[in-house]
Amino acid sequence: MFITDLRKQFYNLITGKRILLLVHFDVDGICASKILQSLFRTDHILYTVVPIQTRTDLINAFQQHAEQVKHIVLINCGGCIDLVDLLQPSDDLVFFVADNHRPLDICNIYNAEQIRIMTKLGDEEEVPAFDDVFREDESEEESDEEGGKRPRFDEEALEKRRERRHWEQQRHKIIFDYTQFSYYGSSTATLMFDLAWKLSKDSNELLWWAIVGETEQLISEQTEPDKYLLVTATLQNHVSRLNHKAQDEQPLDCLRITFEKELQLALYRHWSLVESMRHSLYSATTLRLWTLKGEKRLHELLAEMGLPLAQCKQKYCGMDVSLRNELQSLLESKAEKYGLNNILFASFSISQGFRSKFSALDYVYATSALLENTDKEKTATDAFLDVTDSLTISKLTVLEKGIENSKQQLEAIYRQVQTFLDMNQVISAGPFLYATVIEGTPDARFFAAPHCLSLLARFTLKAHVAVSRSKKSRSLPLIITTPDVRSSESNICLVCGIPPTSEESPRNFFGKAFEQAADKTGSKAELEFFDTNIIRLSVDDRSKFFDALISLLS
Amino acid sequence: MLGEKALELIKELDRSKDGQLPTFNEDSIRMVLEEMTTLFEQNQRDVNATVAGDVRFFSGVHLRHAALERNKRCLLAYLYNRLERIKAMRWEFGSILPAEIRANICEPEVQWFSRYNKNLAAYMRSLGEGTGLDLTQDTKPPKNLYVEVRCLKDYGEFEIEEGDIVVLQKNTTHYLPMSHCQHLIRQGILEHVE
Amino acid sequence: MNQHSLHYPSYFPSYFSINDILATNERVPCKFEKAAYGVGYLDPSSGSKDLEAGTKLELPCWLARALYSRRRIVSCQLPKTFKERYREILKAEASLVDLHMFSPHFYEFGQHLLPLAGPEAPILGTLLVETLRERLRSIMDTSLNSLEDEASSHTTKLDELERSLFRTGRKTFHDHRLWLSRRAHIVTTSPMVEQHNKRKFSEIS
Repeated sequence: MFITDLRKQFYNLITGKRILLLVHFDVDGICASKILQSLFRTDHILYTVVPIQTRTDLINAFQQHAEQVKHIVLINCGGCIDLVDLLQPSDDLVFFVADNHRPLDICNIYNAEQIRIMTKLGDEEEVPAFDDVFREDESEEESDEEGGKRPRFDEEALEKRRERRHWEQQRHKIIFDYTQFSYYGSSTATLMFDLAWKLSKDSNELLWWAIVGETEQLISEQTEPDKYLLVTATLQNHVSRLNHKAQDEQPLDCLRITFEKELQLALYRHWSLVESMRHSLYSATTLRLWTLKGEKRLHELLAEMGLPLAQCKQKYCGMDVSLRNELQSLLESKAEKYGLNNILFASFSISQGFRSKFSALDYVYATSALLENTDKEKTATDAFLDVTDSLTISKLTVLEKGIENSKQQLEAIYRQVQTFLDMNQVISAGPFLYATVIEGTPDARFFAAPHCLSLLARFTLKAHVAVSRSKKSRSLPLIITTPDVRSSESNICLVCGIPPTSEESPRNFFGKAFEQAADKTGSKAELEFFDTNIIRLSVDDRSKFFDALISLLS
Repeated sequence: MLGEKALELIKELDRSKDGQLPTFNEDSIRMVLEEMTTLFEQNQRDVNATVAGDVRFFSGVHLRHAALERNKRCLLAYLYNRLERIKAMRWEFGSILPAEIRANICEPEVQWFSRYNKNLAAYMRSLGEGTGLDLTQDTKPPKNLYVEVRCLKDYGEFEIEEGDIVVLQKNTTHYLPMSHCQHLIRQGILEHVE
Repeated sequence: MNQHSLHYPSYFPSYFSINDILATNERVPCKFEKAAYGVGYLDPSSGSKDLEAGTKLELPCWLARALYSRRRIVSCQLPKTFKERYREILKAEASLVDLHMFSPHFYEFGQHLLPLAGPEAPILGTLLVETLRERLRSIMDTSLNSLEDEASSHTTKLDELERSLFRTGRKTFHDHRLWLSRRAHIVTTSPMVEQHNKRKFSEIS
């Protein structure tokens, strides 16, 4: 069942109860959970937060913690799985689901008793009608068929059966159409911020988390730019409402959020300009920086902007103040000539007292890198807590560590993309392109994580399209595989599929395709992730799995 | 030099840090006691001679007596400071000491500890007009009745008021009543986050 | 040293004070004015059964004081770090001196020497007070302003009393900072437990 009035249909119901919060491993989810936690704290609602990465985690966490709890909140997980079927909960248990994964499972949608799916008003999805997918007489009919031994030949029954067969075919088609593509709904963090606002419990810190959640969706291409702009407008309203006081009216160390144009460059405030341009997906693929020619174009661009190379190669904070102040407008004026039209986008930044400024983009890069830390000493859940900490405004050191991690990650991605292109390792399989990170690559430890892998995939695809001579490559999706060096088992790889660059919306058919290919070939595959376009697969089954995919998609 | 062994005991105690307690050094204590017996016997002999009229021995007697006093002081300080440490541990570790520490304390100390425990418990029960007051709680003025805590270790089931059970599993986050989880924070099982 | 012993600082002489026991163990040069029979083993160089009058020996402070008081069995000299030459050094620039090298319990020991110092006692007393006064400012300064990892390099030159002042300063500073950042109410793992766990951990690994 969908609920849109979160205050009445969710918050008021759970006040005074104990809550189990199951939070998916993604920045948006953690932001949402942090907002929710701070709401709960103001009302003394006891809760337990358990990080969830895979389906198995979900089942385990449910079995371990659900015994005493009657209200479970799922954040960015579980919406696309039939929860009642998977977890077999007792009848008095209620799930509140805030999941940005789509499509939502039909059984969840039509379960009015135990499943409450939280969505924004006006965000309703096109869901198959109830009558098209469920039939009241289903069970009756079946038992009839099994029980009735003598065959019925009368007209009525035949008609009924024909009609039923037709309905079933129809149902199959409808469900297939519905589940064919996986995509993302709006950010859960903004949904939770909305609730906080309606409860009059919003603050700058909560707003910042909502902004980070939303920005993460933009960066990982889970939301279309148009939709992002709409949400940004709403967020901007909140920003001006909460930051309307003039600077000198407030204490110096208060938190300020500003809405402003921002360069689409990764971490440039904490790096050097040249490094940042090289490692940012947008500027690197547009200028083709991995080629000699691209390098020249970059230097040309900097020269035209009047930026001395020495200044661009040193740390940004060491650049002349005058250059820093003009950087945006300089880049903007030259953008068209170099095809960098979208280098500026609407974003937010945060500052507190005399600390340096951080943009929402910085936060997203740093937190995502923390979440997929390559430090062997840290478990996944340690990383989850690091992200939770880094989002707390007062814990700056964790964030700074994240920024350093992110630089390493981006450098590894860049190196890998260069290798792919230099060695011509992006290969067309007909209906899709594929690339494989070779076993034993030292950087593989970075890629054996969902977020980083899909970033690598997107980088690779855009870079490939940018250099490829064939027009067709624009309309081809990409599959990338990498050895899963983080897993304890050997001989396992991660497979990630992303839609073609020509596709405007982030709709992705690989989830369904992977499922079918795995079914068909009986491959040893684990469809464990909530982002269904990423799976774990046994290396031995890879070739037959790919063959099946090719025949399925061509 | 006289009193050397006794000093070693004191140095041993001085070297060990907070949260540690060296093994009860029975050997050294016995050796100190032997030294004291020897000193005492010699003094006894010389004092008898002095009483008999031979005043030559007086300086020696005086010296040995000082050494006896010194040894006594070291031994008592050794015992006393150990007890003080065990007492402090009651407030830090709670009524059950970690096995590594229990292994290092001697039988009379064990008895002393359990009596101290009993006394403390009885006193705390008698406070607050019959309701009792846990003095080990709220050593810092609490700001909130509830706190957000993070679990640092797998601990298992933990009961918070009236049979409500929370499963404390590593790296899970909980919001719980301060009064219940405070001692787990002190024990390093939970971490107070804000 | 532990937090605990702060409550029993040895400059308030307590019978059970570990610091006081250690301070009174420092050596003092003595001369036996009267012969002491049967304790010749105190002077291993002589090999005789008794200590003759006039024997020079370095005795621990506790023993020197016992023998000096009332009967003056021995006469005492100041140890060399409290003598004229070293006093001059301290007078010149007390704050630069490695006092821990002078004596790990400089002030403490100094006080115990006062009754033995005879005519030099007033000079010694002034010296102790002046030295601390000279050095206190920089001790306070570093304890309130240095970084956590620098702290140990500052304390090597301090005597035990100064070290405990330094630690108290740091702790106060730390508490004050917590209070300013409104985090004073946060309950933490008890330091004793933490130490204990750390040790356990290092033993395992």
